[in-house]
Amino acid sequence: MRRLISITKSRLDPAALSRAVSAPKHGAVASFIGIVRSPHAGRRVAAVSYDCFLPLAEKELARIAAAAERRWPARIAVAHRIGRLKVGEASVAIAAGSAHRAQACAACRFVLEEIKLRLPIWKQEHDARGAGRWLAGCALPRKRS
Amino acid sequence: MKRKIELYGRLRDAGLGSSVVVDLPSPVTARRALSILKSSFGPQSVLLKGCALATGDEVLSSSNELPAGRLALLPPVCGG
Repeated sequence: MRRLISITKSRLDPAALSRAVSAPKHGAVASFIGIVRSPHAGRRVAAVSYDCFLPLAEKELARIAAAAERRWPARIAVAHRIGRLKVGEASVAIAAGSAHRAQACAACRFVLEEIKLRLPIWKQEHDARGAGRWLAGCALPRKRS
Repeated sequence: MKRKIELYGRLRDAGLGSSVVVDLPSPVTARRALSILKSSFGPQSVLLKGCALATGDEVLSSSNELPAGRLALLPPVCGG
């Protein structure tokens, strides 16, 4: 089955992801769009830069989607933006298609939470003067020995 | 053996550029390699808290020996 995964410098197209997981047997499509916002933590944000260890991130995102598809009878499409984004631009988009809403919503939420925990991507907020601040994150889970 | 280790996220602000080259024994575990890397970072070694070594395929456990090929030092992640 073709994986609907991407990590890209291009603008995201959430509607295309929803279309990609739509099927006659899917009575529900749940979607999530993460958007660069301002202010954040009391600071005005002008832009956000996403750094990425691409070879691992692409594999990890595919693993996350595959794990969701194993856990729920769902089809997942997910895209994460990297590079510099302005406020209001989409940074991550997820679509989960399934027969029922509970499964679609649960699978979509799972993918988002796993991205937060294990995708090797880092976020740097920039203020109006261009000064950057890396945001705190989650230590990566290590492979079991 | 000299190994190039790529740096990401907050580690790019350590003043070391986008990668460091360190002299590591071979074989060497990820735990030992991290310890050696701390000395390369000097006063900035606090940035290594919560960091992990990874290949292009997986995050290494502390007891894993470093494989050949691409290596990266990854701080806590913040996607989404």
